[in-house]
Amino acid sequence: MAADNPQAGQGRPLPKKESDLFKGVVKHYEVKQYKKAIKQADSILKKFPNHGETLAMKGLTLNCMSKREEAHALVKKGLMNDMRSHVCWHVYGLLHRSDRNYNEAIKAYKQALKIDPENLQILRDLSLLQVQMRDIKGFGVTRHTLLALKSNAKMNWISFALAKHLDGDLRGAVNVIDIYLGTLTEDSPELERGFESSELAMYRNSLLAEIPDNYEEALEHLDTCEKLVVDRHGLLMSRAKYQLKLGRFQDARETFMTIFKRGASEDYSVHSGYMCSLLEMDDAICEEALNLDGTGTLATMMPLSAEQKQKLKDVYIGGELSEELPRSHAMQRIQLTLREGDDLKNALDIYCKKLLKKGAPSLGTDLSSLFLVDNNGRYERVTDPVDVKAHPNYAMIVQLADGYISSLSSCSKFAADDNDTEEDPSTLLWTWYLRAVLHELGGELSEGLELIEKCLEHTPTAVDLYELKARLLKASGDIKSAVECLDKGRELDKQDRYINNQTTKYMLQAGMEETALERISLFTKHEGNPEQNLFDMQCSWYELELAACLAKKEDWGRSLKKFAAVVKHFDDFHEDQFDFHSYCVRKVTLRAYIAVLRYEDTLWGQQYYGQAAEGIINVYLHLHDNPTITKEEEEPDYSSMTAAQRKKAKAIQRKKKKAAEKKAAEEAEKQKAKEEAAEKENGGKKKQNNKGSQAVVDPDPLGKELLQKDPLEEAKKYSAMLSKYAPNSINTWLLQYDVSIRRGKALMALQALFKAKALAGNVPNSEVFSRIVDFATKADTLKGDNPVVQEVVESELAALLNGGSISDFVTSAVDHVKKNPLSDLSYRVAIAKAIVSTKTSGVADAASIVIDGGINGRGVTASCCHEALVTLKKFGNEADEAVTKWSETVKTKFPLMVETK
Amino acid sequence: MVKQLEIEFGAITADNVEQLRKVNAACFPVSYNDGFYKDVVARKDEGLNKFAYVNGFVVGAVCTRVEDMPSAGSSSVKSGGGDEGEVRSRLYIMTLGVLAAYRGRGIGSKMIASILEYYEQHKDDELSTVDEITLHVQTSNTDAMKFYTSRFGFVKGEMVENYYRRIDPPHCYILSKKLR
Repeated sequence: MAADNPQAGQGRPLPKKESDLFKGVVKHYEVKQYKKAIKQADSILKKFPNHGETLAMKGLTLNCMSKREEAHALVKKGLMNDMRSHVCWHVYGLLHRSDRNYNEAIKAYKQALKIDPENLQILRDLSLLQVQMRDIKGFGVTRHTLLALKSNAKMNWISFALAKHLDGDLRGAVNVIDIYLGTLTEDSPELERGFESSELAMYRNSLLAEIPDNYEEALEHLDTCEKLVVDRHGLLMSRAKYQLKLGRFQDARETFMTIFKRGASEDYSVHSGYMCSLLEMDDAICEEALNLDGTGTLATMMPLSAEQKQKLKDVYIGGELSEELPRSHAMQRIQLTLREGDDLKNALDIYCKKLLKKGAPSLGTDLSSLFLVDNNGRYERVTDPVDVKAHPNYAMIVQLADGYISSLSSCSKFAADDNDTEEDPSTLLWTWYLRAVLHELGGELSEGLELIEKCLEHTPTAVDLYELKARLLKASGDIKSAVECLDKGRELDKQDRYINNQTTKYMLQAGMEETALERISLFTKHEGNPEQNLFDMQCSWYELELAACLAKKEDWGRSLKKFAAVVKHFDDFHEDQFDFHSYCVRKVTLRAYIAVLRYEDTLWGQQYYGQAAEGIINVYLHLHDNPTITKEEEEPDYSSMTAAQRKKAKAIQRKKKKAAEKKAAEEAEKQKAKEEAAEKENGGKKKQNNKGSQAVVDPDPLGKELLQKDPLEEAKKYSAMLSKYAPNSINTWLLQYDVSIRRGKALMALQALFKAKALAGNVPNSEVFSRIVDFATKADTLKGDNPVVQEVVESELAALLNGGSISDFVTSAVDHVKKNPLSDLSYRVAIAKAIVSTKTSGVADAASIVIDGGINGRGVTASCCHEALVTLKKFGNEADEAVTKWSETVKTKFPLMVETK
Repeated sequence: MVKQLEIEFGAITADNVEQLRKVNAACFPVSYNDGFYKDVVARKDEGLNKFAYVNGFVVGAVCTRVEDMPSAGSSSVKSGGGDEGEVRSRLYIMTLGVLAAYRGRGIGSKMIASILEYYEQHKDDELSTVDEITLHVQTSNTDAMKFYTSRFGFVKGEMVENYYRRIDPPHCYILSKKLR
């Protein structure tokens, strides 16, 4: 940062002595010796108290010493004193940047550049902000300026190529890289094989592949750069992919084989690619198969013809691949997905025995990946107990397990005529465990619990058993017992973080947030406030569970607070990319960098953010619907009372206030005592290492500020985020509907309903159904005066109701359920509600939709059964008989269910 | 011949002592108080107190302590007028248990053997005062008596009447084996 400013003014130009001092300030600031910088700045200011640049630099330095307000005041004062100094503007920009106020920062930098257009430092800083803000055009311009100013720097070339790439000019980006490579002399170390040259080559290659229909060139380029590339796996994967895309299936198959031989036998995406090359699948399917998650392959993605399956079997079972990869576990699992009938049963027999001997608690879950059904040409895994039990593979595995159990219990062998030696006692344990998991998957909770008791008697020291038992108890509707069971399991091994977290989660679901914090605190840092530590560690799952727990307890402020913490984490994740803009270019990790940028662009579509936003929206909508909740804290309206009433009301208020104050004081006391105890524990070290934790004092731990916000406005804000970033989630549109309908936005509500309906597909969805009914009942009041809106609402509503009246719509849903006895319980409940609310029919008919067969269909969980009961009770006296009948039915299915009010 | 099980030994610590409770609760008719478990953890001697693991899970445990030898007859523990004035001691097996499903597979033997082996390794240093190894066995528990006498050469000693409070029979024998 040069300090020569020829413009006249107070103390400028600085005399030699002060000018040297100023250089010292900048130097010390840059090496983070802040105290020294301040000292030198002060000695300049002694002589020239209004020297703008010095004031600004001092402010900037103070900002790094966490004195934000003082810093702002000084920097502003500096700038006011010297508006024509690029240093002042630059510093002003840096200050905004540290506040994450990027748009302001960009403005300040641009101002600085007006004064000093060729300042490299400012240009670089500006470019970072531009890419962070995705001002891609501006980024391109700035990077071009930088390249023109300093064309011998590799970083400038690469950054300019990236700018072209982000702008969609792929060929241009390739050209920039080529020109850069052309500037190098032949013996340049940049052209030798090494990480940087390899990454640059692979980045160039990825650009070529991104150009539409350009796989040929990309493939050729791989050959030319092969010698440079150190990421052998990446190169081979790209080659195989291009070969697939170009339809050179034999070549692709050989390349995949090479990849297997290098040790990628457990990588399911390689298997997928290999299968595609073998079956010569078309482009779209190849793309889909290569992008499958986890252990999915082409064979589990979609139904294949008998001929196709045979082709795969020829190589996977006793063919080239099974010879090449005899010890691969992935191979064995894939083989299972290719077999059927008795052939499958025999293979499963071998597979299960092997894992049961080994003691693999995950076997049941592993096998549940075989419960696939065809849904419009794609396989889908069934999870509802009704469907699981109907699946032939389920029956097959149950039969095998039952056979093992009877044989193992009588003679400790898998089969009585087995000549092998006896199995270890643990084999029977894990077979019981497998059977218990199968009971769980089939919704046979009591049977599962019975079996897990046997397991616990057999080996009461195995933690996994407690976890399964707790899961079964929870599904049975007894979360308290589930917590007790898990906590006992946790005590067996206090170093097991997984079981500790699981216990914490269950406790939160059981409404025991204080004990839950105690449990998870066993694994947080042992100094400072554990809750703050969990926040610093960005422990979102905990915060989401806690927020949900607090919402259930109607502690709205604290619940919002925790949901907001997760939102903050996402802001931080987004912020975190800032460092990568310069780092990745310097390290030439360009492919990964582009992947990060693309990930960040979809960041708010992540599941955890969705959960947090949904939580916030629901709380705010509840506050909107019940405005008295937030009014409660304010003083009541005394004017409308009589003197006596007023006196009484005031006394109550005073008492309330006192109690609240007392509670707050107690909390503070407790916290203080805790901190003191923690400090004692740490002995003399307390002063060091906890700069951070000391600085953080939450001024609003109860979230009162959040409660004061306009609830509908807040809900709208988050709903808009979801619509933008998670448009493929049905929840997004359900929430959008809930918000829009309250805002009186008929068209937005309609749009949300159509989107939700489209996402639900042909499966009846209770949430969509009840919102269509809701909209239909409110349509008249929503239409408003605008004739255009009226027309649209009318015609679109007709489309939603399939052309009939609301009653017709509800009746057709009733018919659907009657024709489909396995219909989802929540759908039945929604229909019952609609029958009553739209007066389509009487309470008796409504109740019968639930109680006649509802227990045998899909979606029968303890909580949904409870929900159904609550609904029936709301129907009033007429439904008394139905309530009794349903209660009994539920009792038989969930004998352990604990009644909640 | 029933297949022997491969076992591994592991330490009993504050973090996993609950597993010892589970093993003991499953194996013995008497329950041990919290003091017992605290002592085992506090002692931190992996050689004498340990879990037996099969396939990664605890299936048995042995807890042993070194205690002063009660001197014959007199109340004094010290061998009063002796030349050295040294206190002699013995190894006392407090508990040895294997979960029912895993019995008869050599796990108990391996645990006793490992205690004896530990003695052999340390008889000249930390266990230099130890002369014998002993334990109490309920008079009705003939299986256990056979296990210790025939396999490890323990000798059945005197019967202690009303040793146990809440179980029947309440009497026990002292089994012991001279180590030097």
